[in-house]
Amino acid sequence: MGGLAVSEIHLDGVRKQYAGTTALEEVSLHVRDGEFFTLVGPSGCGKTTTLRLIAGFESPTAGEIRFGDEDVSGVPPEDRNVGVVFQNYALFPHMSVAENVGYGLRFADEERRRGRDERIAELLELVDLPGTGDRDPTELSGGQQQRVALARALAPGPRLLLLDEPMSALDARLRERLRLQVKKIQSELGITTVYVTHDQEEALAVSDRVAVMNDGRVEQVGPPREVYERPKTRFVASFVGDNNLFEGELVDVRDRPEVARETKGLRRLHVRVGETVFEVEASSQGSGSTGEIAGVEASQSPRSDGGSVAFCVRPEQLKIDGGENRFTATVRETEFLGETTRVHLDWEGREVTVRAAEPPEAGTAVELGFDPGDGHVFEDQL
Amino acid sequence: MSDATAGGDERGEKRTDGGESLSGISRRQQTASGWVEAHALTLVAVVTGVVLLVLFYYPIATVLVEAVVDDGELTFAPLAGVLTSRFYLVEIIGFTAYQAALSTVASVALGLPGAWVLSRFEFRGRETVRSLTILPFVLPSIMVAIGFVATFGANGTLNRLLSLFGLGPVNLLYTLPAIIVAHAFYNAPLVTRMTTAAWESVDARTVETARSLGASPARAFLDVVFPQLVPAILVSATLTFVFTFASFPIVLALGGLQYATIEVFVYYRVQQLAYADAAALAVVETAVSLGLTYAYLRYEAKQQTAAFGAGAQPAPRKRLLPESLRGLSARDVLSRVAVSGYGVVVLLVFVAPIVSMLLSSVTAPDGSLTTRYYEFLLQRQATAAAFQVKPLPAVLNSLLFGVGTLLLALPMGVVMAVLTTRRYRGRKVVDALSMAPLAVSGIVVGLGLLRGLVFGFEAFGYRFTVAGAIAIVAAHAVSAYPFVTRNVAPLLGNLDAKLVESARSLGASRTRALWDIELPLVAAGVVAGAAFAFAISIGEFDATVILATGSNSYTMPVAVERYLGRRLGPATAMGCILLFVTSLSFVVIERFGGRSRGV
Amino acid sequence: MRRRNFIKAAGAAGVSALVAGCSAEPVDDGGDSASNESTEGTETGTTTGTPSGSATLRVATYTSFVDAPSSSPGPWIKEQFESEFDATLEWQTPENEINYFIERAAQGVDIESDAYVGLDTNMLIRVDENVDGELFASVDSGAVEGRDAVKSGLEFDPQERAVPYDTGYISLVYNENQATAPETFDGLLRPEFEGDLLAQDPQSSATGQAFLLHTIKAKGEDGYLDYWSQLQDNGVRVLGKWEDAYAAYSNGEAPMVVSYSTDQVFANAEGEDLSEHQIRFLNGEAYANPEGMARFADAPSPDLANQFLSFMLRPEVQAEIAVRNVAFPAISDAPLPEDFAQYAKEPETPVTFTYEELQGNLSEWTDAWAQQFASN
Repeated sequence: MGGLAVSEIHLDGVRKQYAGTTALEEVSLHVRDGEFFTLVGPSGCGKTTTLRLIAGFESPTAGEIRFGDEDVSGVPPEDRNVGVVFQNYALFPHMSVAENVGYGLRFADEERRRGRDERIAELLELVDLPGTGDRDPTELSGGQQQRVALARALAPGPRLLLLDEPMSALDARLRERLRLQVKKIQSELGITTVYVTHDQEEALAVSDRVAVMNDGRVEQVGPPREVYERPKTRFVASFVGDNNLFEGELVDVRDRPEVARETKGLRRLHVRVGETVFEVEASSQGSGSTGEIAGVEASQSPRSDGGSVAFCVRPEQLKIDGGENRFTATVRETEFLGETTRVHLDWEGREVTVRAAEPPEAGTAVELGFDPGDGHVFEDQL
Repeated sequence: MSDATAGGDERGEKRTDGGESLSGISRRQQTASGWVEAHALTLVAVVTGVVLLVLFYYPIATVLVEAVVDDGELTFAPLAGVLTSRFYLVEIIGFTAYQAALSTVASVALGLPGAWVLSRFEFRGRETVRSLTILPFVLPSIMVAIGFVATFGANGTLNRLLSLFGLGPVNLLYTLPAIIVAHAFYNAPLVTRMTTAAWESVDARTVETARSLGASPARAFLDVVFPQLVPAILVSATLTFVFTFASFPIVLALGGLQYATIEVFVYYRVQQLAYADAAALAVVETAVSLGLTYAYLRYEAKQQTAAFGAGAQPAPRKRLLPESLRGLSARDVLSRVAVSGYGVVVLLVFVAPIVSMLLSSVTAPDGSLTTRYYEFLLQRQATAAAFQVKPLPAVLNSLLFGVGTLLLALPMGVVMAVLTTRRYRGRKVVDALSMAPLAVSGIVVGLGLLRGLVFGFEAFGYRFTVAGAIAIVAAHAVSAYPFVTRNVAPLLGNLDAKLVESARSLGASRTRALWDIELPLVAAGVVAGAAFAFAISIGEFDATVILATGSNSYTMPVAVERYLGRRLGPATAMGCILLFVTSLSFVVIERFGGRSRGV
Repeated sequence: MRRRNFIKAAGAAGVSALVAGCSAEPVDDGGDSASNESTEGTETGTTTGTPSGSATLRVATYTSFVDAPSSSPGPWIKEQFESEFDATLEWQTPENEINYFIERAAQGVDIESDAYVGLDTNMLIRVDENVDGELFASVDSGAVEGRDAVKSGLEFDPQERAVPYDTGYISLVYNENQATAPETFDGLLRPEFEGDLLAQDPQSSATGQAFLLHTIKAKGEDGYLDYWSQLQDNGVRVLGKWEDAYAAYSNGEAPMVVSYSTDQVFANAEGEDLSEHQIRFLNGEAYANPEGMARFADAPSPDLANQFLSFMLRPEVQAEIAVRNVAFPAISDAPLPEDFAQYAKEPETPVTFTYEELQGNLSEWTDAWAQQFASN
């Protein structure tokens, strides 16, 4: 409520259909005041549509979007006070850099308009482009254009910053540098930011929280680490970072209390994959995320027998000659990544990936292992 | 450090801003000007709709309804009569389409090289030539007939030239080719103008890319440049077909009745008050034209891939006259030869008829030079009775209506173009209907205006009539705005939608974004549309004479017609004034427009 | 009165008469209340501003009667009429000429004019076929002085509404330096005249229509299409309007053109070589196109209209109309200038179709002709 609450965004049961196709099935999100919130997912997952709905370029077919307490449906983009940066920057080609940056100030209040020139200079400084005001935007490099676009979006002092794949047209190095700069500016200004990207690495790097989207739905929302370490669904597990997926079935262990011990709400499950039985921990009350995603059903109590179940283990948590759950796999190939090496192995016809500082030779058999706490059971499978 | 301060400020500002902003929404809506700005597009669209309804759809409906309603009963007899008549179908409609198709091919063939020269070569007066290409558009058909007879007649310039070389004589007049060349005279400039605009927006980098991939210059043209010109060529070809399909006086003047078009018969039926037949013919005529327009629009909708318009960097023009002959490649020489050859054709087809008009305005019956026809105009100006037509008011009215048409047709056409680039069901039908003013017989429109507006309609015990200068301007705008739309819409469609979205998220209303961002970027199309709108207004005759009731609202073409007698002198003198005034106007419009194009 | 108030109110609201876009006026219940007062810029055609007070006579006509580059009777008639009668003569020139009034009547809009000048047989037939009531009033010869003096040969209205005031004859005009026009219609078919004749489309030109009717007179209803087919084989050129054909003739495209028998009057005035403007009456005949005037049945000022008709028939006015309209007077004793007959040629035998002969036939004849001519 009031000035402080107003930079929150709520999406409640938002649906978006175009003639014949559904872009968003049903999305409910809460972006908190001042946070750097990222929508990540493969192309066509609905992340850009969500951003465009927030900006007001599209209106939802169903559901409600609120800024703070206020329903903004029917409020045109120009009255939403949001800054938008597009992938292709969309700089006005017939205006100079300064005119671009100052454009939004034309619609600001009297006081803001009077201080226009200083404000432009200030913003160009902020994005590290001092003195470029008189240049033509087409004379600038891609990265510079991107920063002009950012300055332009920030100039009117928006309460929200929306970034739609702003880096994807840039080369990798520039991208990394720029995203740090964006993050820095964002946190300095404390401006609520929604960032759309298909690059999960970028998403993990800059966000306070991440929403992973797929097929018009939100699969999981949470801080990067949590999404990374505790993917709720197989999609999240495979989309966010490398992962080893194991599919098997539960071994009934209810009669054996010494096995089915519970510690601090965690339960150990026994899962048979092929001939091997692994012990993995599963939370009885979800993964610890706040459960704000209406699209994902609340976690159920783990099933205790029969039926299939899947879990994943991050490559860096799969150790050569270590961990409780052991199995033997054959090295197929290795990829040198600089500080580490990615090892691809074959385990009874399944592909398994491990990180290793000193990689074994291809063709050799190695013993792999992981601790029960490092195996992550997908709740939607339980 | 400045970052930090900025950040701090920003944060504070954001807070207050955030708090105010939503109440700001209502504030914006509360002020009247804010309301107008927020709804400007809708308002203009509604005005456009009303103008179209009152000045076009309602009037023509009063006429076309006669094709299907007889004594209050639905009938298809008149239409069936036309569609089952071999004479109408084959001899008239078939022939009309045939000559229109040939005229379209000729216009494209004659207009395309013009676009090449104007967009690819630099020479003195290029801008002026470009501005003047629109001139044929405004010439009354009788002037063109006079010019053509003087150029291509038995004793015309062409035959006199040929006889110098011991050739000829060529009998061009009163043949199908004469009609086709005359139609090309009117319409090739249309092709030239629209294609030049497209050519100038072809990004040189696309050609360079093709060349770097191993394409020869010719191949690069065919594969890269030409496809980007096709939309412009097709739209001008479509318009040419629609115009020549409804052509009438020029066909009879230069071809004769054996080449009668459908409009000749519409005219006679209207003249004889055989409205059912006239309406049936006009309906068929309109259906053909609109059908073609619809087909084109379907095509246009599929093309919006070429990213010309904003940011394109056209290749620099070559000097037409190289400074030295050294270093000229065979290609360069060949292209200059081609330009010269085209120049000869232009001299013959465009310049000679116009010069002939000028000459006939200063030639006495015995062949000596005279100024008496211009003296006639002066004398008319000084002594004409109030109910007679004077030259000066005609000039002023034409300019006034032309400017008025510009002011009305530009917003109408631009808003229509904006609507055209939106996606909705049945959009292309709406698009095609918005082009209808070009496709409906001028004779039918004239009769409709008389019935629907000049006589008016009764309601609430009052008879409402629409006539006078404002009605004339509105009627001109109705004929003119499709040109604005067709010039602007393709460019607008090619603009990146994110430009507008960026502007709006920065606080610009939809109208403001159109004004600040889109219009400057499609300025070339707007200026071209403006020139056409002005030209349409200057050249318009049918609606003007019918709506010019009571007030002295006659224009230059009306004066030309009024001064037409047994001797052509007075009319050609007035025609030359028309030529001069409009030439000047176009140069001014495009100079002014060119400067306002922004960066 | 109410209307004038409305106009005033509109003016006060900032709509000047010049730019008046829309107007609304009360619909009259009957014709009798159609006012005699002046209308300020609401009537069709170019109008004069009228000093209010005196009566106004509104006369509709075709444009060249009042505004032609050479000479036109309109201004002179207005001046003379006004100097003699305490009235203002207001010329109206609606673009669609008589069709304007037929349309007006058909749409149920009041006729606010008093008289029409420039009727011919075809127009009268069109009026009668398309107007239910009566558009023009029959003229009582007692009410129009001089009515009886009109040559009976020019009368073309069986109901005696139209009063002929002049006539023209359609003939061939030829350039004797290039060819000597044949004496007969059959002569035109001779090979030596191949491609030599310029005519006009009877659908869009009065001279073209007269020439077509003349061929029907000469060759009969059953023979004219055959004749035209031969004429077409011999290269006759049928252009659109008289102006198109005459311009082509002047430019030497062909040595013969269908035109008016008064051609030399203009040629003489322009100082042209008369050998290039010879007149030929085919078969010794010419098609007569008498022009008539009539009073509208609902004329606001019927008496003044009658006075106007009778004014137009006065010998000195007839002579003046003949000279200024370059046509022949409708009465025999008009005091024409001496050289008039020298340049304005009259045929020995004027021919014309009567109202009855044309009624129901003209469209058919023309359609059949056009279908044949335009098929190839």
